[in-house]
Amino acid sequence: MGSTLHHQWKGVAFGVLVGLAWTVARVSVPALVGGAINQAIEPGDKSALVRWTVAIAAAAAMAGLFTGLRRYWAFKVSRRTETELRDRFFAHLQRLPFAYHDQVQTGDLMSRANTDLQQIQFFVVMIPLTISNFVTVVAVTVILFTIDPWLTVLALGSLPFVNVLAKRFSTRLHPQVMTIQQESAQLASVVEETVSGVRVVKGFGSQRVQASRLRAEADDVYNASMAAARVRARYLPALELLPNIGLILVLFYGGHQVIDGSLSLGALVAFNVYIALLIWPLRMLGQIVAGGQRAIASAQRVQAVLATDPTIVDRPGALPLPDVRPPGAVRFDNVRFGYQAGRNVPVLDGLDLTIAPGESVALVGATGTGKSTIARLLPRFYDVDGGAVLLDGVDVRDLSLRELRRGIGLVFEETFLFSDTIANNIAFADLDADDEDIHRAARLAGAHEFIEQLPEGYRTEIGERGFSLSGGQRQRIAIARAILADPRVLILDDATSAVDPTKEHEIRDALGEVMRDRTTIVIAHRPAAIALADRVVLLDGGRIVAEGTHATLLATNDAYREVLAAAERHDHETEAVADVG
Amino acid sequence: MWAEAGVAQEDALDREQARWVMRRAASMLRPYRRQVVLAAVLMTLSTAALLAGPFYVRYGIDHGISAGDTGALNVAVFAYVITAGLNYFVYRAVLVVVSKVGEGFLRDLRVRVFDHLQRLSMPFYDREKAGVLVSRMTSDVDSLAELVQMGLVMLAVNMLLLVLSLIVLAIVSWQLMLVCLIVLPFVVAASIRFQRESNRAYLTIRDRIGHTLSRLQEGISGVRVIQAYGRQDVEVERFVAQSGDLYDAHMRSVRAQAWYLPVVEFAGLGTTALVIGVGGSLVISDVITIGTVAFFVLTLGNLFEPIQQLSQLFNTVQSAGAGLKKLFELLDTPVDVAERPGALDLPEEGPIEVDHVSFSYTGTVAVLQDVTLTIEAGERLALVGPTGAGKSTLAKIVARLYDPTEGSVRFAGVDLRNATQRSLRQRIVVVPQEGFLFNGTIRDNVRIARGDATDDEIDDALRAVGIFERFDSLPDGLGTEVRERGSRLSAGEKQLVSLARAALVDPALLVLDEATSSLDPGTELLVEAAMDRLMEGRTVVVIAHRLSTAERADRVGVVADGRLVELGSHAELLADERHYAALFATWVGGLGHPVRP
Repeated sequence: MGSTLHHQWKGVAFGVLVGLAWTVARVSVPALVGGAINQAIEPGDKSALVRWTVAIAAAAAMAGLFTGLRRYWAFKVSRRTETELRDRFFAHLQRLPFAYHDQVQTGDLMSRANTDLQQIQFFVVMIPLTISNFVTVVAVTVILFTIDPWLTVLALGSLPFVNVLAKRFSTRLHPQVMTIQQESAQLASVVEETVSGVRVVKGFGSQRVQASRLRAEADDVYNASMAAARVRARYLPALELLPNIGLILVLFYGGHQVIDGSLSLGALVAFNVYIALLIWPLRMLGQIVAGGQRAIASAQRVQAVLATDPTIVDRPGALPLPDVRPPGAVRFDNVRFGYQAGRNVPVLDGLDLTIAPGESVALVGATGTGKSTIARLLPRFYDVDGGAVLLDGVDVRDLSLRELRRGIGLVFEETFLFSDTIANNIAFADLDADDEDIHRAARLAGAHEFIEQLPEGYRTEIGERGFSLSGGQRQRIAIARAILADPRVLILDDATSAVDPTKEHEIRDALGEVMRDRTTIVIAHRPAAIALADRVVLLDGGRIVAEGTHATLLATNDAYREVLAAAERHDHETEAVADVG
Repeated sequence: MWAEAGVAQEDALDREQARWVMRRAASMLRPYRRQVVLAAVLMTLSTAALLAGPFYVRYGIDHGISAGDTGALNVAVFAYVITAGLNYFVYRAVLVVVSKVGEGFLRDLRVRVFDHLQRLSMPFYDREKAGVLVSRMTSDVDSLAELVQMGLVMLAVNMLLLVLSLIVLAIVSWQLMLVCLIVLPFVVAASIRFQRESNRAYLTIRDRIGHTLSRLQEGISGVRVIQAYGRQDVEVERFVAQSGDLYDAHMRSVRAQAWYLPVVEFAGLGTTALVIGVGGSLVISDVITIGTVAFFVLTLGNLFEPIQQLSQLFNTVQSAGAGLKKLFELLDTPVDVAERPGALDLPEEGPIEVDHVSFSYTGTVAVLQDVTLTIEAGERLALVGPTGAGKSTLAKIVARLYDPTEGSVRFAGVDLRNATQRSLRQRIVVVPQEGFLFNGTIRDNVRIARGDATDDEIDDALRAVGIFERFDSLPDGLGTEVRERGSRLSAGEKQLVSLARAALVDPALLVLDEATSSLDPGTELLVEAAMDRLMEGRTVVVIAHRLSTAERADRVGVVADGRLVELGSHAELLADERHYAALFATWVGGLGHPVRP
């Protein structure tokens, strides 16, 4: 993060220079006005008046030019910083391991990448603006001192309070604004759930209950807004009043001095103009102090993410996948693993499992026996706590991550598709895949038929802003995605659970073809899916308790029958009568 | 601070719409009449006070300093002190009064829109996307809130300031005022152009922020898939491209500011030069006084500042207007299913008669055609049929979530359209397919069904569906917050809460939409047992997705293509060997290779 800011320093420096040029032009105007009054208007010198007028006009042109440049550079630098930080933030998240993402919430990361970066942007934009404002304040003070020190003290004496008040105003207002946002969000969630749950609300006639909840939320928003309004009412009039005190004192004290002849009328007018000139810079200086505190807090939150080391990375000299024929030998060698290292009961406790190249194995077991964990250790989403996982004889920790993951195709239990076309979702593993590859993969996954029926076929946009698919359709696209990657090892983690049972039959046939001569790990509880595998492994308590073919286990193992029975009863009950016809 | 609001071309109001929106808003503000008048008076006073400052300086210079009269100078100073002091309180009052009116207006609007939303019928919700409706209450009201919180006072004060400044300047010296007017048209033209550019830029920025954030969100939620396929580099590249687009949009907006600001700055300072030049020579010719020149130099800010501020507020005002128009349009949407005058309370129980009912959502494609059937009190009827055949619609019409397009539905002889809403919801309860939970505690979620239920009654309802012990054993018991739509509870537990709601109401007729998606085997049994208990002694219409449910019903109705094509017991229909029998056969065939231990 420091480096991002560091590398913007040239831009900041230029912004400051431009700001200083603006200051010079802006500060010279009141001096020129005073000069015009003293040396041209009062003596009645018309030709001098023309010269002074031209000088003021020139200063005006400079001030105009530089105020534009000043803003342009300040924003350019700050937006650049924000953009670079956001890009780095995103890139860094992509490198952080599963274990990290398991702990953090998407919403929290989103708010760091959005709100916190905005706070930082707001602060960075203020740097050059603030420096030139600060110089303006100093320059004006010095100029006024040379004219009349006492009058300067009177004129500017009240202005530091503008700065103090502006800072306090900003600090007080900020939490109120946050409260308004929170209360509005709560109100929005009542609206949102009432609209989404309209069937429940109408079904029970509970409109009145919801209406009173909304009223309560609307009152909260009102109260929070009024609290913020009261903060504004307390500070804004005071901020308006303070500069007037300076103006009044100048008129009073300065006026008497002019009458005495110890001060010129031009200087008096110049004083007035200078005070007006200082109001905004001082207000902004107050805001920047408050904004700076928030920006530091934000920067710490962003930095916390950027400073997290990715624990799962390539070792120095990481190996490519070994070129063996046939490929796809998998071995779990005395593997111990727990999601919270050391704290919890391990999920896998001395697991030994060997899968020959081309073999297909079904992992069966009750929930929490470690089936999915096995699927997640092979692609090295997590590192084992003890023992080793080997692919084609090489410890996965010694392989290049990129190569390793290219070699393994995984269909997760929960399907995640991207807001993109269906074709691009399937071609996720290989951007260069042509239509033929994509269609072939979709056919094998039993997805081709329904995709063709969509309004724009493979070009149909899906996701948030696009077409929404059923759970089964989504799973079939995820399977096609894995097939297209043409991996050495294919892992299907409950990959057909949401597929309509009648369609599952078709997919099973196709999957048989995909699995031929390919190492496959199937995690399933439907007997039909289990039957796809050459060998069945029954897990309990993080270890293998039995293995064999489906038929032998069924005939000989009580525990196996129990697990299947639970799943089967479950399936029997959920088969859709209606949607079959 | 710049370009923070905007309105799309198609949403911008034309003159007539703007007038309509103003009239509606004005009528909604009627209860605040007095405060509005008070605010107007206070704002005028405050603006006048702002202008008075330079005026006193002028008086002090001309009558005090130039004339060497300390008395006149002291008068000017004294008046200035009084005015500034008073303005402190006036300005303070302005901010409070305007906020009271504005925030009160917003609160009324939120409540009214929400109440109206709740009165709208189901067909309305089928037509409109939930997201759009929610955005009425969020972004449209928020754009108004922005105007109320930041803009309203600024708008009024700046307009007053502009007008009053022109008047005062003209009174003090019409010659110098004409000099000031030379640049004004340029500033106004530049402001209009800037307003348009920044509006366009704002819309692009808003759009691209949305895209960037959704890509960010997807990159975070989908990080496991991305890593599984080793696609990090590609995703980062795509994100960088997206955020680069956002940067460009920001820079476009900054460039607009970068030309506009110099124009305003130069206009202001350039006019100072003109005032000094022209005013100075007028002083030399004895037409005006030095005090007048000083007055003009000090007041110039009051002329240019408001134009700049107004040009920025313009976007806020426009988007608030557009938001208000959408809200008023929503309030004007007619309520379809309303209670008739002289509506009757439904009797305790009785048969349901569906009499030649037809229904269509849009008026063109009929979803149901001429359905007639009678369900006796205490009977259990299962509806089966393909997706989209109309079985859900039929169930919803029986519960009067929709009114039939033709024909009628009667409960114990009373047409549902003549029933009071209250008795309707006491006699007939619909349990939807998925247990939908609201934010709040488990107890709150059950109470949704009957706002006046006591805690004991809620406990009993939960006991009736056999889930009381499980929830009661949680650390916070029934007071457990369900969090974000019940993310803390399993699908089965949510379903049980939903059933407990029905138990709380204790209706005569229960309309059940059976879940299609699977639950974990443990809770599945609980849910089934709960449903059985709930159906005991009631008339039940169940949309069946499971064979066992259809088997257990007294009668089965098969709905196909919007018609009731078969009606009879499970055994009778199987014997008939028509739709139901075919459905049953496919189902048995689809089982694959059933394994029985």
